[in-house]
This record gives sequence, structure tokens and C-alpha cells, in this order.
Amino acid sequence: MNQEIDYVVGAERRLAELLPRGEIQPLMEAAVRSGLSRVRLLGDDGEPLAEACSQSAVQAPGLKRPLLLEGEPVGALEAEGPSDLAPGILELLFAVVDRMLTNNLKRMLTTEIHTQVVRQSYEELLESHRRLATSEQRYRNLARNLDLKVKQRTEELKLAHVRMLQQEKMASVGQLAAGVAHELNTPLGFVSSNLSSLGRYLDKLQAALLACRELELGEAQRLAFEKQWKEQKLDFVLEDIPDLIAQSLEGVGRAQKIVSDLKGFSHVDSASLVCLDLEQELEAALRVLAGRMPAQTRIHREFEALPRFTCNPALMSQVFLGLLSNAVDFCDKPLELRLGGRCLDGEIHLSIADNGPGIPAETLPRIFDPFFTTRDVGEGTGMGLTVVYDILRTLGGGVEVKSEPGQGACFLLRLPAGENHA
Amino acid sequence: MIEYDAFEKRLVLKVVYYGPALSGKTTNLLRLHELLAREQRGDLMVLDTKDDRTIYFDLLPFFLQAPSGLKIKLKAYTVPGQVRHDATRKAVLQRADGVVFVADSQIAETANNVESFQNLERNLKFVGLSLSRLPLVVQYNKRDLPGIVSSEDIRRTWGTTGIAVTEASALEGRGVVETFERLLLVLFDRIDEKIMLEAEHGLGREAFVRQIVRPLEGQELREQKEIE
Repeated sequence: MNQEIDYVVGAERRLAELLPRGEIQPLMEAAVRSGLSRVRLLGDDGEPLAEACSQSAVQAPGLKRPLLLEGEPVGALEAEGPSDLAPGILELLFAVVDRMLTNNLKRMLTTEIHTQVVRQSYEELLESHRRLATSEQRYRNLARNLDLKVKQRTEELKLAHVRMLQQEKMASVGQLAAGVAHELNTPLGFVSSNLSSLGRYLDKLQAALLACRELELGEAQRLAFEKQWKEQKLDFVLEDIPDLIAQSLEGVGRAQKIVSDLKGFSHVDSASLVCLDLEQELEAALRVLAGRMPAQTRIHREFEALPRFTCNPALMSQVFLGLLSNAVDFCDKPLELRLGGRCLDGEIHLSIADNGPGIPAETLPRIFDPFFTTRDVGEGTGMGLTVVYDILRTLGGGVEVKSEPGQGACFLLRLPAGENHA
Repeated sequence: MIEYDAFEKRLVLKVVYYGPALSGKTTNLLRLHELLAREQRGDLMVLDTKDDRTIYFDLLPFFLQAPSGLKIKLKAYTVPGQVRHDATRKAVLQRADGVVFVADSQIAETANNVESFQNLERNLKFVGLSLSRLPLVVQYNKRDLPGIVSSEDIRRTWGTTGIAVTEASALEGRGVVETFERLLLVLFDRIDEKIMLEAEHGLGREAFVRQIVRPLEGQELREQKEIE
């Protein structure tokens, strides 16, 4: 049974509760002063609850008026006094006491119900407050998490956007390279072919000139011819022409090689998945970077026979180019590269090590973080190594780095040696 | 929830007049007060009202004594009908021994009746009581007005429930005493089961009702109306 039920509205009241002595006593004393010699308030058991009497008590027959509370006899008023005054005073006193009973009961009932209602309303308020507080807390949490979630998603979106831009950039560079290469190929082709023809034509000219020199000419004509020969330094010219042609052809050949590497590197022509020789891909990247390599660069290669690896070739080009450009960009003395490849525990391990300044211990844990860069603002995107990391993860492998300041940096790439990959 | 003190030989019973606002609960008690003899009852106590609307409750007490000397007090309460006084209704409903549900017969008030009845069920549950075990009489009041639910409809609605239903016009004094008597009869049975009123205290069903409901001699309803 709950607590409220202990507090019942309209509980039974006793006469003594409804007519406190302090209230009834002055009335009874007033009645005595008015002429009664004695007046008593009796309870339902006949015991007096209050009494008043005069000094000069006159013995007289007693009068009695029963008191009713809610229809129930609960006591009586008893009076003694002169027979001419007593009944009137008692009647008056009875009327006052009866009214007092009713009013006090009414007041108590009102207080009871009021207290009860206030208590109950207060409890209901507490309960509703508790529910509101709970609900507020829930919304607060939701709002806070929402904020966090929005931040997270925004960060992810930003990252994805930058990655996309980076890949887009690489793709555009590749396409540009491929386009340029294609456009260069044609002129280079006819330059090369014309140079060969030119060489043959010059041979003919030389033969004709030498034959002219041997002709029987008059003295004056011969001197004039020799004079011309010397002035035009034809001895030197005829000697130098084959070298020039050969060097030009060699130059054109180199240009054609570069163009072909660019095309191959950008893989613009390739299908999305190609079975790659990783060592050759690494060499292609080196060739693309050849122009940026400092003089006296030394490259050590230590490759075991590697299984072919199937993937989108543009991805591997990006990885190699990213790592090699870093080595080239950061080198502070004649560059020495150590490239290696071997098969270990079902994985292909490729290593690219340089002799550069190395990576400080405090930046080492952050080098794969997006937007982390040690270069000046505007120089590096902070995405180079992030892209390397992403690509290797996509291909089911990974990348680790070992570096001591001053001792260079060594990147170890791991790729699964199994079947086809993305 | 009968309040019985065997040592003091006292029994206190509580009857509550429940129902929607302005259905005539206080008028029921006013008429009982006027129509019943002064012996055996106290005065009607009307706690403070606001614009003649009950905000706390009204109380009409009755007193009788069984041949065994058992003192029986029966208090008839009204509750405030207005929705906002729900806390008061709960407080008054505590330990009720019987309920008279005063419904407004006007068809327009049907929804209010239903709502108030559901409120009664809810609040009884709140104070640990249940309609299924509580003596209940449903009174369709205001039978004197036009636009009211027909007697036939009332019978159809309540006939199957086994709940006692009366029709009344409290303003005219009709059906008020009858309603009260119906409740007293059901109430007597419930008390008798618990404390053997008839067997141990010598108070029979008829005597119980007759002692409480004692009409004034020669009282005419017409006169009552003129006093209004």
C-alpha cells in the first residue's frame, strides 16, 4: 500500500481535538461571568474535558445539552446556575460551541485535503520533473553526439575529397604526359627518319665533292677551287658531318625513349588490371625521374626473382614515384639509392632506401597522416605518403618506414604474393 | 477498505459521489440533506467553493448504532468534477467503500461521462481499489432536461454489466434517495460478508438502510422545489 493512503482525508476526530481547551475555556469563563455558577464540557465517556465555576457557588439543579458531531453524540455541556439565567446562557453557549465544532471540523478537513493535494501534486511534479530531466539528458546526448558525428563525417568527406583531388591530379598529369608524348612522337619520328636520309645525302655530296677535287682542271681553276675548299673548311665539315648526324640521331633516340617511358608510366593506354613486373615498374619510375636526379647518383639494386603482381598499374607508378621523388627532393649529398625486392612469407617485399637526412623521431609516427607536411606552406600537400599508404592498404598490403636522423630512410612495401588484386 | 475497529466498536464507511463536472453531485447531497430526517445524520458540510463550483469536496455524515452497540458512521463525499482537480479526486477516493457515479443524461455530455468514468477507473487503481470489487451505482441525472439519452439506451448500455443503474433529477429531488438506497443495499452486503453485521451485531439489511434513509414526515417534493 503506498504512502498516500496512510493519510486519509476525513479521518475521525475526537471532541478534545475539535474543541481545544484554549478555545473553549474563555467561553466557559465568560458564561460564568454572565451568571452561571458552574459549567463543564464532558466527553462521550462522561469525563470532564473543561470546567469553569464562580467563587460563590450557588447550588442549583444542573442543566445538560448533548453535543453531536456528524450526527454522533460525542459529549455534553453541563451547567449550573440561577434558574432564571442558566437556560438562556447555556443555550447561547451551546449554539457557539456547536458552531465552533462545525467550523473547526471544516477547517481541519480543508487543511487535510489541501495538504494532501499539495503533497500529491508535489510528488507528481517531482515525477514529471524527473521524466523531463531524463528526456532532456537524452536530447542533450543526442545533440552532443550529433555534433561529434557531423564533425567526423565532415573530416572524412574532406579527406576523401583531397584524396580524390590527388588521384585526379595524378591522372591528369598522366594524361597530359601521355598526350604530350603522343604529339612529340610524330615529329620525333620524321626528324629521326629525315636525319637518316640527310646522312645518306651528305655522303653523296661528299663523294661528289671529292670526285670534283680529283678532276684535271686548269691551274687557275684548281687554285680557285682549293681556295674555296679551304675557306669553307670542307675538310673539317666533311669529317664532322657523320658525328653530327650520329649525335642527332642518338638525341632523337633518347627523346623517343623518354616519350615512350612517359607513355608507359602514365599507363593511359592500359586496361584497369595488368599483370605487372614490379622491378620494371620501379625502373620506369626511375627513368621518369632521371632528369631530377642529381649528378653522381648511385643506384644499388638487389632483386630476387619476384612473382608478377596484378593491379591497376597507375597505382604502383604513383607509389614508386611518390617515394622516389621524396628521396630525390630531400637528398642533401650525392644521392645513393638502395632498391631491393624479395619474397617472404607469401608476401612481396620491396624496399626503397636513401642516404638522405632521415626522418626525426617526433614526426615519424605522423608521416602517413593526411595533410601532415614538413615543407613550407604551398610546397607540399601533405598527401604524398598518405596516398602511398592508402594504395598499399587497398592492394591488401602495407607500408612501414625505418629511419634514424642522418642515416636516411628506408620504406618497406609489402604486397600479397597471391592471386589477382584490385 | 472498510474501517473497522472491533475494540472501539466503531465502523466508518465512506461513499463517494463521482462524475463529470456539473453533473449534479453536490445537488444529490443537498437533496439528501433536505429529504432525510435530521435524526441519524449530521449537517451537510460544504467546503469552500469557487463560483458555486466544488473545489475540495462536500460531506454529508450519517450515524447509527447497531443493537450490539457497534457505532457506524457513514460519510457521503462528493468530488470536484473539473478535470483540473484530479489530485483532490484521488485524495477523496482513498479508502472509499462505495461509489455513486453521477452521469449527465444530456446526449451532448456523453463524451464527458465516458472520460470521467475512465478517470474513476484510473484513480481507483491509483489508490489501490478496483471497480470490480467496489459497490457501485450509476445514476443518470438531469432526466428533467430535453435532449437526453433514452431510458432504453441506458438499459441497453448497462444491462449486461450487472451494475445498478438509476435515473434521477436531483434538481427536482427525484431518484436521489433511491440511488442512495441502492448503494446502501450493495454496501451492506459487502460489509456483512466481512464483519457479520446481521449475525454478530444484530443489524439486518433493511434496518441498516431504514436507519440511514429516514424520509421526513409528509415532505413534498413540490415544496422542496419552491424553496429553491
